[in-house]
Amino acid sequence: MTSPSPHPAPDAAAPLVVQDWERLSFRVHRRAYRDADLFAAERARIWERTWLYLGHETELGPNDFKVRTLGGRPLIFTRDAKGELHAFLNSCPHRGTVLCRETQGTSKHFNCFYHAWAFHNTGEVAAIPDPSAYADEEYKASMRLREVARLEVFEGFVFVSFTDDVPPLVDHLGPAADYMRMIGEQHVAGMEVLPGTQLYGVRGNWKLAVENAMDGYHFSPTHNTFVGYLRESGFAVDDDDQYAYNLGNGHSLLILTGHGGRISMLWEPRFGEDERVRTAEHRREMEQRLGSERAHLVADESHILFVFPNLLLFDLEGLSIRQLEPVAPGHTDVRAWQLAPRGEDPAVRDLRMRTMVSFVGPGGLATPDDIEAYEAVQRGIEATAGDGRAELDYSDMSRGMADDGTGRRGRSTDEGAMRGFWRHWATVVGAGGPVDVGTPPAGHPEPTPLPSKRPHGLDEILAGLETGNEVAAR
Amino acid sequence: MTALDTALPGSTRTVTRAEVEDFLFAEAALLDAQRYEEWLGLFVEGGRFEIPTTDAGDTPASQGGYFVCDDWDLLRARVKRLRSRKAHAENPASLTHRMIANVRLLERDGDELSVAANFLVHRARDGHTNAFPGRYAHRLLVTEDGLRFRLRRSVLALERLEAGARLSFIL
Repeated sequence: MTSPSPHPAPDAAAPLVVQDWERLSFRVHRRAYRDADLFAAERARIWERTWLYLGHETELGPNDFKVRTLGGRPLIFTRDAKGELHAFLNSCPHRGTVLCRETQGTSKHFNCFYHAWAFHNTGEVAAIPDPSAYADEEYKASMRLREVARLEVFEGFVFVSFTDDVPPLVDHLGPAADYMRMIGEQHVAGMEVLPGTQLYGVRGNWKLAVENAMDGYHFSPTHNTFVGYLRESGFAVDDDDQYAYNLGNGHSLLILTGHGGRISMLWEPRFGEDERVRTAEHRREMEQRLGSERAHLVADESHILFVFPNLLLFDLEGLSIRQLEPVAPGHTDVRAWQLAPRGEDPAVRDLRMRTMVSFVGPGGLATPDDIEAYEAVQRGIEATAGDGRAELDYSDMSRGMADDGTGRRGRSTDEGAMRGFWRHWATVVGAGGPVDVGTPPAGHPEPTPLPSKRPHGLDEILAGLETGNEVAAR
Repeated sequence: MTALDTALPGSTRTVTRAEVEDFLFAEAALLDAQRYEEWLGLFVEGGRFEIPTTDAGDTPASQGGYFVCDDWDLLRARVKRLRSRKAHAENPASLTHRMIANVRLLERDGDELSVAANFLVHRARDGHTNAFPGRYAHRLLVTEDGLRFRLRRSVLALERLEAGARLSFIL
């Protein structure tokens, strides 16, 4: 065994994504989860060219900083004394040393220990020891901290791009934007990220985490014990009449109405009697502030929103933000935060923490089983790697494919949201989009029409998307 | 959870470090053997189990990120889950091996005793082994015939949970 790879070189000729419109099958080649060359292509064509979720603006007060890694690049996420947000490359412009070796803190300066260069948190050079050895002041000033190419904030969510060649953030978000806006509308005082990050690694490809979040089919079998707990607490979980939506640009959405139970918005018995009273009061406030139709959309539906490529918003009992950072084909780092109303009643905050943490995160009653699923897939797909029967090395995502391109929305327990993700992935990663067998339906598979009670402005956004560049290019 | 210990009267009797060590060692043996029902019997009714995130510091469980913040209901649900074949993340169960050291009695307030200890738990599963070093910061109820957890708190001495190191077992 001289090869470092545990399996033979992937069959580069086998198509990555195949949609067969006669058999109504949709298949993804499993090298998409394990091939190092494809991983490098994803870094170059997705993570270096797309808006990426960095963090939330409420994580930082003046002069606070957090270090993060996106697309393998170490970054400093900071807010200067004037309140402006920055994302600096966490690397000294001099010789490349990691500049900030703390994970978080408060500082007006970043100092490189190696040669004692110092920088203001606006990026300007503060001091270079013995500067007379450099040509002039201009040269010294050129050594300011390197920033990401673009940084934009939408409703408190901070995104960055490593290239200038990206559309405005709100165009990238498309219909996903309104579902992010709804989060801020839940409470009159707005939302804030709570301290304490769940930072953990999983032995699985990042796309398995995306699939899992958009997969209502796994909920009952995988989370059998959690569903049992919910039922015992007087809450029936129902997967009927719930739908998945492709929002274009790789974004997707599950709208869950049968998983109810939303703290301060939709009461269920396990939340207790005090919370029932508070929920009713809060609903009255929301209806006054937002109008009854919007209040209904914001309060009564649970959402799982995926913003391509690295942000998942779990707007369920409470609100959890999850950021995916691919480290290697079979290794993904995850950061997760709780987003909660500012100035929340301590009793509600306590309920929120217990309720959300009980479900999400690597120590919860449900997420460990999801992680078990990604990790078991990652191990299991070695079974077909390099098999002479090439057709075996595909994963199947055909559930509900008869709905694609018909304008019908797919059920949350089908696999339509995953198909939307993979179609976009196959296009942007340079595979030329999915390979069609047979004749595709006249109507394009995405975006899916959203429910009739659409958020304000969404009809216009969708109308733009249907004639937009991305669809026209296919 | 307000009438915590009505069924179990507290005591102001003297407790030695040896007694606390025996309690923690016996607990470790129960957990390594996956005897979860008996383990739950080491708690007072209304007891809690917490694991803060690796960056949380002393943030109270009600105010910040936690890996585990179980009240009594959730703790019982966790044990019920672990006993089920359908707790997929722990079926088959992780192989765990616990070392407990540096046990200290920190503070005594009536029938309550605060104790600290260091732990090192090794967990093997799926061909990998993860090490979980950390310290306990427990609050124990002293009774006439033993000790019970009011708060069982495990604080990781890690910067993060490394790949595969999910907390599907009891840390």
